[in-house]
Amino acid sequence: MFVHIFAYRLKCLMRDWETILWTMVFPLVLGTFFYMAFSNLYTNEIFNPINIAVINDEQYAKNKSFREALEEVSTGDERLFNLSETTIDEANELLNENLIDGYIVVEMPIKLVVNNSGINQSIVKSFIDNYIHASSAVETILSIEPEQIQKIIDDIGNRETYVSEKKSTGGEPNTILLYFYTLIAMTCFYGGFFGMREINDIQADISSVAARVNAAPVHKIKAFLFSAAASVLIQLVEVLVLISYLVFMLKLDFGSKTGFVLLTAFIGTITGFSFGAFISAVVKKSEGIKVAVIVGVTMICCFFAGMMQHEIKYIISRKAPVLSYVNPLNLLTDSFYSLYYYDTFSRYFKNIILLTVFIAVFCSGTYLMIRRRKYASI
Amino acid sequence: MIVRVKNLVKRYGDLVALDHLSLTVNEGEIFGLLGPNGSGKTTAINCILSLLKYDKGEVEIFGRPMAPDAYDIKRDIGIVMQNVAVYNELTVYGNIDYFCGLYIKDKNERKRLVEEAIDFVGLRDFTKFYPKKLSGGLLRRLNIACGIAHKPKLIILDEPTVAVDPQSRNRILEGIMELNRQGATVIYTSHYMEEVERICTRIMILDKGRAIATGTKDELKAMITMNEKITVESFGITDEHISEIRKLPNIISVEYKDNLLVIKSGKGKNSFETVLDFIRKNEIRFGKIYSELPTLNDVFLEITGKELRD
Repeated sequence: MFVHIFAYRLKCLMRDWETILWTMVFPLVLGTFFYMAFSNLYTNEIFNPINIAVINDEQYAKNKSFREALEEVSTGDERLFNLSETTIDEANELLNENLIDGYIVVEMPIKLVVNNSGINQSIVKSFIDNYIHASSAVETILSIEPEQIQKIIDDIGNRETYVSEKKSTGGEPNTILLYFYTLIAMTCFYGGFFGMREINDIQADISSVAARVNAAPVHKIKAFLFSAAASVLIQLVEVLVLISYLVFMLKLDFGSKTGFVLLTAFIGTITGFSFGAFISAVVKKSEGIKVAVIVGVTMICCFFAGMMQHEIKYIISRKAPVLSYVNPLNLLTDSFYSLYYYDTFSRYFKNIILLTVFIAVFCSGTYLMIRRRKYASI
Repeated sequence: MIVRVKNLVKRYGDLVALDHLSLTVNEGEIFGLLGPNGSGKTTAINCILSLLKYDKGEVEIFGRPMAPDAYDIKRDIGIVMQNVAVYNELTVYGNIDYFCGLYIKDKNERKRLVEEAIDFVGLRDFTKFYPKKLSGGLLRRLNIACGIAHKPKLIILDEPTVAVDPQSRNRILEGIMELNRQGATVIYTSHYMEEVERICTRIMILDKGRAIATGTKDELKAMITMNEKITVESFGITDEHISEIRKLPNIISVEYKDNLLVIKSGKGKNSFETVLDFIRKNEIRFGKIYSELPTLNDVFLEITGKELRD
C-alpha cells in the first residue's frame, strides 16, 4: 500500500505545476535576482586602476626616484595607476577627453593637473604628497646623518604592523550570504503548500477526494503518512536543487560541513511541510485563506530573519532575542550561517533543537486535528 | 439484508438533518433515496459510510456494525460522490488505478479490474486524458469508474448525474442497471424523480430528514388518492365551467392556469372520456388533451403539499 500511495502521490505532485512553480522555480529566480543585485555591490568594491599620465620631459627623466616610485605603483595586477608617458599636449588632450583623471608634471614642486575633483584625483594627490613627504624626510636625514641612509630606506619600505588578525571562525563574515540563507529558509517554508495539500486530500470535510479515500479500507493516518512521504521527498529535492544552484552556479559559500548542510535542509523541509499541514488543519477556511496565511507568516518571518534587510536580524537579536528564537525561518537561516561561519557546533545544534521543537508542535497539532475519523459535517 | 439503518438522528445545531431515519436495503435491490435538495439524502449516505458523526441510531452493513475502521466492510463498498472526486494530475487510467489500488492489492487483478471498469463506463478512448480535458459527462463516468472498479457488492451513488447531458445520463443509468444485473446492490440518491422511477426497484422519499414514504413505485403511487391527471390546452374556460367540472364524478381537483386546464381524478373509473364529453358538449375550444398516470412528484406533492422540484 505504501508503494502504491507513495508512487501515485509523486506523480500527482510532479504534475502540480503551480505548486512546483512557487516552491522551486520562484526561489531559483529570486536567488538569481539576489545574485545579480549583490554581485553588483561586490563589483563596486573592486578597485580599478586610475588612468593618469606623466609628462615625459627632461625633469621627469632626471628625477629617477620619482620615476621609479611611479613605475612601481603602475605595474602588476594590484597596480594603483594605468600610467601613460606623454607630451604636455597629448596629456591635455587625454584629460579633455576624460581618458585620464589627471596628469603629473615633474617640476619643483611636483604638480598634478586635473579637470575636476573626485576620489581618483584625491588618490593621485595623496600618492604625490606621500612621495614628497618621504623624499623630503630622506633628504633631511641625509644632510644630518648620512650614515643612517640604509636604515631609513629600510624603515620606509617595511612598515611594522603591531596588530595581527587571528581568525576564530571557519569563514569570513559575509552578510550577503544571509540573504541567500533566508531564501533557502523561505523555500523550506513554501513546502507548507505541500503540507496544506496533504491535509486537504485526507480530510473528508475539506475535499471530495478525501471523502473517497476515507471511505476506502485504508487507515487514514497511514494513508496521510505515505502520501506525506512523497511530498517531503519532492520538497527536499527542490531545496537541494536550490542549494546546488547556489553552490555550483552562483558559487556561494556554505562552508565545508556538507553533511550538516544537508541535515539542515532536511530539518527545514520537515519544518516547512509540518507548518503547512498544521495551518491547513487548524484554519477552517477556504484554500485561498490558508495559502494567504502560509505565505503571510513565511514572509513576515523572512523579514525578521533579515531577508529584506540583514540588519533586522541583528536588531531583533539584540533588542528582542526571544523573537529570534520563536522564528523558525530565523533559526534555519542562522543554522546555515553557523555552519558557514563558526568552527563550533553549539549555536548550530541549539537552532536545530529549537527547530525540532517546532516540528513536534506542528505535528502534534496536526495529528490532534486529523486523527478523528468521523466528521461533524461534510 | 445488505444495509440496515435504525433511528438515525443527525443534527447540525438546531437543524435536524436526519430525523429518526430507518431503512433497509435488501440484496440485489436498486434502492432509491428521492428528495429535494437539502432533504438529507447525502447526509444519510455519509452517516451510512461512517464519515459523519450522528447523534443517535445504528447502521449495519452486511449484518455488521459500520465504523470508520470496519475495513472488511469498506472493502465491499463502492462510493460515487456527488462531487467529482478525482485527481486532476492523474490521467483517466491513473485515477481509476489509484482508487482501485486502495481496495485491491494484487497488481494483476487490479489491472484487469481497471481495464474492465474503463470499458464499462466507455472511456477506452480517453485513458490518457487528464480530467480537465474531459467533458462533464465523461468526467461523471470517470467518477463512477473510480467508485466501482474494485467490483464492490454494495455501490452507493450520490446524485451521479447532476449537470450531465442527456446522452451521458442515459449511459450512466444503463450502467447502474447493468451493475445491478451483475449482482451489485445499489443505493441511488437523486432529486430527479424520472431517474429514480426508471431504475429503482424500491424507493424511499425523503423530506426534511424524514422518510415520508417507502415502497416500489407502484406502491408509492397507490398511496395517494389521485389516479389520473388530465391536461387540456384550452381557451375561454370560465369559472362556471370549472365549477361544473368539479361536479363530475370521481374528480378530486381542477386547476386552470396559463390556458392549461389540469384535472385530477381519484381511484376507480378513468375520467378521460367524461372530461372529453364535457368539453364537446360545452363547445370549448382546445388544442391538446392528454391523460397521465400519477408520478412520484404527485406522490410527493400530495404528501408534503409541495413540488419535488422546489
